[in-house]
Amino acid sequence: MFFKLKPSAGQPLYLQLMQQIQHAIENGALQDGDQLPGIRTLAEELLVSPNTVAKAYSELEHAGVLDLRHGSGAFISVSRRARLLADRVRAAEMRVRNLIEELREAGLLDDEIRRLFEARLAGQSETVRIS
Amino acid sequence: MTSEPVVETNGLGKSYGRISAVRDLNLTVGPGRITAFLGLNGAGKSTTIRMLLGMIRPTEGSGTVLGRRIDDPAGSLEFRRRVAYVSEDKRLYGYMTVEQIIRFTSSFYPDWRADVVRTLLKQYDLPPDRKIRSLSKGMRTKLALLLALARRPQLLILDEPSEGLDPVGIEDLLQSLVAQCAEGTAVFFSSHQIAEVERVADQVCILHQGRLVLDASLDDLRLSYRQIDMVFPSLPAELQSQLQLEGVESIRTSGHQMSVFASRNADAIMERARDLHAGSIEAAPVGLREIFLQKVKEN
Amino acid sequence: MLWYKSWLETRSRFLISLLVAVALCSLVVYHGDQDAIPNTTLAYYYNVLQGGHVLLCMMWVMSVTLLTMGGLLREKAVGTAPFTLALPVSRTRLMAVRISVVLGEAMALVIVPWAAMFLIGSLTGKTHSIQQAFFHMALLAGGGMVFFGTALLTSSLVEGEYTAPVVTFGAVLGISVVLSSSSLHVYSPMEFIAGAEYLDRHTRLLTGPIPWMRVAVSILISALLVAISAKAVQARDF
Repeated sequence: MFFKLKPSAGQPLYLQLMQQIQHAIENGALQDGDQLPGIRTLAEELLVSPNTVAKAYSELEHAGVLDLRHGSGAFISVSRRARLLADRVRAAEMRVRNLIEELREAGLLDDEIRRLFEARLAGQSETVRIS
Repeated sequence: MTSEPVVETNGLGKSYGRISAVRDLNLTVGPGRITAFLGLNGAGKSTTIRMLLGMIRPTEGSGTVLGRRIDDPAGSLEFRRRVAYVSEDKRLYGYMTVEQIIRFTSSFYPDWRADVVRTLLKQYDLPPDRKIRSLSKGMRTKLALLLALARRPQLLILDEPSEGLDPVGIEDLLQSLVAQCAEGTAVFFSSHQIAEVERVADQVCILHQGRLVLDASLDDLRLSYRQIDMVFPSLPAELQSQLQLEGVESIRTSGHQMSVFASRNADAIMERARDLHAGSIEAAPVGLREIFLQKVKEN
Repeated sequence: MLWYKSWLETRSRFLISLLVAVALCSLVVYHGDQDAIPNTTLAYYYNVLQGGHVLLCMMWVMSVTLLTMGGLLREKAVGTAPFTLALPVSRTRLMAVRISVVLGEAMALVIVPWAAMFLIGSLTGKTHSIQQAFFHMALLAGGGMVFFGTALLTSSLVEGEYTAPVVTFGAVLGISVVLSSSSLHVYSPMEFIAGAEYLDRHTRLLTGPIPWMRVAVSILISALLVAISAKAVQARDF
C-alpha cells in the first residue's frame, strides 16, 4: 500500500491515513484479510509520529474495518456493513462524475468546479464516517 | 505508561541582569509523544533546555523532569540517567575516537544497548577508529545521536538536531526519532525547520522572545486554523469590527477582498460573513509555517 | 571512565613534560659534573643537584599550569561542556576526578625526574644522599601545591581555550616579582620550593629539618583555593 499524507492539509494526519485506508478498501486495493504494516514500520516509512498511525489504526478498529491482533499485526476485516458502504461510495462516485461532466459541458473549468466543491464543503467541519 | 508529563515547568524564567532570556514559561511535555519546540534563533529554546538539564540555574519559577525537580542536584543526577540530550553544539571530545567515546559514554548508563550501537554505526556509516576531531559536522551529529539513542532514554531532548545535516541525514534522523518514540520514549526537540516538525510532531510549542506563544497538538491546529478569504461588494469601516469574533487573529483587506486569519471558530466567522453579504467565501487550511509566522509577527 | 577521560585529556601534555624534565635533569647531573673542579667533590655535586632542582622547579610550575588547563570552563570554550554536563555525574565529581589525575601527574613530575637524577648520580659513582633528595622533593611537592591551586582557580574562573594558563603564568610571574624584594622573599613560594632558604652556600646542601609546618600551610592554602574553585564551578551557568 502507498499512502500520501499532506502535512499542511487542514486535516489531522491520522484522519488522512484513515481515509486513505478506507478508500483503498472501497476501491479494492485492500481486501478482507490483508495485512497492514506494523505501527512502527509504517510510521518510519511515512516519517510521521507513531501516535498518528496508532490512532488511525485504533479508530479503524473501532469502525470495525481493522482487526488489531496483538503481536501479529493489523488485518483488514471488511464486514457486510462496510461492503454496503463501499457500494454506496461507488454509487456516489458515479454521481459526482456525472455531475462534473455536466458542469464541464455547461462551460465551467475544472478549477472553478473544484473551488465550488471546496467552498461548499469547507463550511462544514470535516467528518469521517466511522461506520 | 503513565500519563504524567515528562517535563513540566511552572513560571520558569531566566534573566541576565535586566535582560530576560525566558519568561514565565509553563511548558508540558507529554510521555510517548513527539513534541517540537519552535522558535527563531535567540528565542530562548536552548536556555530553556539547559535549565531543564541543570546547566543553567533558573532565576524564577520551577520545573520537573521525569518527576524530579530540576533545581535539586540529586534529583537532576537521577533523571539525567534516564534522559538523553543532543546539544546544539555537537562538538564531542575531539581527542577520542568514535569507539572510545562510545565506550566512555556506555559506562554511565546501565541500560546501554550494544545492539543499537552496532545497527546505528552501520546505518550512519561511522568509522569506529577515526578521531572525533577529524569527523565532519554531519558525522558528529550522527555520533551524538547514536550516543543518545543507545542508552534507552525515557526522554530524548534534542536541540536543533537537523542543523548541519544533508537531506539524507535529516531523513535518517527523523526515522530514528520516530523509531525511538515507537519504543515509548518521549521526544522533545527544538528546531526552526518547520517542514520536518509539521510531519513528525504530535505537539508543537512556539517560543518567541522568551515567552510561550503557542502550545497545541498539530491535529488541533490542522482542524481549527483557517484562512478565510471573502469578497464584499463594499468594505465599510465597521465591517472589520463586525468580523472580530472569537478566534480571529488578524484581518487584512485589499480592495474588495478581506482575509481573516482564524485560530478557531471558522464556521461562525463564515456564518457571520454570509450574514454580512459576502459575495464569495473560501476557507483554506493553514500550514504550520503560516501559523508560526503569524505568531512571531503578532507578538 | 571519568578517569580515562581526564587521562586522555592530559596524557600528551603530561608525557611531554615528563620526558623533557627527565631529560634535562639527567643531562644536568650527567654533564654538569664533568667540568667540575674537584676540590670539594661533595659540595660540587650537590651544586649540580641543586641546579637540576631549580630547573625542575621552573619546569614543574609550567607543566602543572598546563596540566591544570581544562575543566568545564575550557570545555565550554571548545563546545563539549553540554555533553559532559548532561552525563549523570555531579560537577563536584567531575572536578574531583580531574584534580586527582592532575595531582597524580604532578607528583610523578616530582618523583620521576628526581629518581632519574638520583639514579644517574649513583650509577656514575657520585656521592648521594637519599635524605637530601627527599628534602628537595618535599619542598617541591608540598610548596608547589600553591601553584597548582592558583592554576585550578584561574581555570575555574576564566573562560577560553588557552586563557587560563596565560592568566596563571601572569599571576605566578606577578607574585614572584612582588615577593622578590628582600623583606618579602621568605614568603615567595618560588623561593620556597627551590629551597633557597635552607641552602648552605658552602656545602650546597639543604640544612635543618624539613619544614613540615610550611609544607602544611602551603597544602592548606591550596585546599582553600580548590574549595573556592569548586564553589565557582558549582555556581556557574553553562
